[in-house]
Amino acid sequence: MTMTTLIWRKEFKDALRDKRSVLAAMSYAFFGPMLMAVAFFFLINQLTDPSDVEISIEGKDNAPELIQHLQRMGITERASPWPDTVTPISLTIPAQWDEKMQRAEPIDLVLKADWSAQKQQSDIKRVERAIQGYAAQITHYRLVLRGIDPRVIQPIQLNKNDLATRGSKAALILGSVLVFIILSVFWSGMNVAIDISAGERERNSLEFLLSQPLSTQSIVWGKTLAAASFAIFGAALSLILIPIIFNFVPLQDIGMSVSFGLPMMLLMFVLLIPLALLATTLQLFVSFRAKNFKEAQTYISFLLIIPMAASFGVEFARLKTPILYYLPLTGQHQTFLSLIRGEAINWLGTGVSALATIALALVIGQAIARMLKSEKTVFGL
Amino acid sequence: MIEVKQLSKSFKDVNALNSLTFSAPDGQITGLLGPNGAGKTTCLRIIYGLLQAQQGQALINGIDANQQPIQARRQIGIFPDKFGLYERLTVREQIAYFAQLHGLAGEKLEQRVAQVIEQLDIVELANRKSAGFSQGQRMKVALAQALVHDPKHLILDEPSRGLDVMSTRILRDILREQRAQGTCILFSSHVMQEVAALCDRVVVMAKGKVAAEGTPDELCELTGESALEEAFVKIIGSDEGIAA
Repeated sequence: MTMTTLIWRKEFKDALRDKRSVLAAMSYAFFGPMLMAVAFFFLINQLTDPSDVEISIEGKDNAPELIQHLQRMGITERASPWPDTVTPISLTIPAQWDEKMQRAEPIDLVLKADWSAQKQQSDIKRVERAIQGYAAQITHYRLVLRGIDPRVIQPIQLNKNDLATRGSKAALILGSVLVFIILSVFWSGMNVAIDISAGERERNSLEFLLSQPLSTQSIVWGKTLAAASFAIFGAALSLILIPIIFNFVPLQDIGMSVSFGLPMMLLMFVLLIPLALLATTLQLFVSFRAKNFKEAQTYISFLLIIPMAASFGVEFARLKTPILYYLPLTGQHQTFLSLIRGEAINWLGTGVSALATIALALVIGQAIARMLKSEKTVFGL
Repeated sequence: MIEVKQLSKSFKDVNALNSLTFSAPDGQITGLLGPNGAGKTTCLRIIYGLLQAQQGQALINGIDANQQPIQARRQIGIFPDKFGLYERLTVREQIAYFAQLHGLAGEKLEQRVAQVIEQLDIVELANRKSAGFSQGQRMKVALAQALVHDPKHLILDEPSRGLDVMSTRILRDILREQRAQGTCILFSSHVMQEVAALCDRVVVMAKGKVAAEGTPDELCELTGESALEEAFVKIIGSDEGIAA
């Protein structure tokens, strides 16, 4: 035990002096949430653009009432020319408007736009809706004039009743944030894990360390704790920064509310600790087999696919089986999801998955300790 | 006392050690002399338990490192084939780390670290990080790591490689000092002068076997040659891989 602490202290000190390791642990926690927040910010801005839609209108003198209606709906004629990068949205009103209107014949309006342009989606929709609204008004008047109840042409009224709570809507977006938090334990300690295993071999200090009077278990656990400390630090940093950064994102504008309460954050942090141990042992297992830093980096980037698949994959595939609550990695992910949705937590699943995570980390750690006793691995024979 | 008994070891098709037997007594410097690829490093690695012998055993003070690696390693100071330093630690931290791994603590730790830094004349280096050190400076730090827990046995794998004359002299002085304290010293080399100047006993190795054993003078006598180098060439039957 004392030997483990000794190795832990030394590796931790060593890693703290390595700017690359410290930077790697911090930068992920810093820039990740920032990037995500910026992306959300733009997304929300686009979804909730309240300003007038400006379109080109041809023949507006033909139908002044329609133009007035459009204006009331926030659609105005464009004064400035269209920029080159944007396809113009233009509405053409035919000269026979009045004539056809009086004879109650259908009037052909032409709306020209690029329906595939992501940015103009909401503008085009608004124009369509406004025109349909005007058409509905006219229908209404005509029926009333002819003595018919306008409801006769509305046999079915679809009442949309959105049952999604504010929290569960937010969960959709925040699902990706969760994946990010889970990944933080894999990212933040990665550089340290490589440095103290493959790096130790590359610097030619592994042989001397293994010739010292201590068990390979002490070496493995000391090193695991050192790298896991960095992973946990990175996770804590992400957990602290995410609520702060998301304060600036106007989630309420799209009908979402997210609250990162302190108890929730603490629970997340506690659940991330076993995960950090698992992530670190996995990384050490892989990079102790690598001959140098570069090789280890290559292997470890493949390793990152595991947490991505376990969280993103489960989410997108809409996989729903109760086993997910009890497994390492998916268990933490499910608990986080419940937390953010404000649902009841499956405490048994949370506990079992935490224990399973620790158990798996222990097994991998013992496997590394065995590996370090094997001359094949140590000397690459 | 280090005893090597009937040691055999092969890697895939290569027979590295073939029933190797010799011993290194306390208070003497035993040189393991052999050309490149004779199995010197393999033999030393088996002695401190990093490699497993297929047959035979190596005993340090009666303890087999393959059976009880931790107890065996407590008895020895090692200067390995590859001695990488931790470049982000200062020399003092580095030496103290290995001293602690050998169980030193508190006042004893401070005292021994200071002592060994003094002994190797690296006081000016003590608070510097080892990045950018010269080969000679690195050797001294590695030697300090091997000596800090005051081991009764010292195993050195080609300690003089890459050293200039001054550093080689310091190394020899240190080894003689240790011998005077009764330490059992076993070191491997392929440098003839080194062995002739330093060793009380020479074990000549070739192709994983002991080719001859004795004091430098005895070896010369045995072969009827006046210089150890000629004797050596005669013993192993070729002059391949030997530096004068």
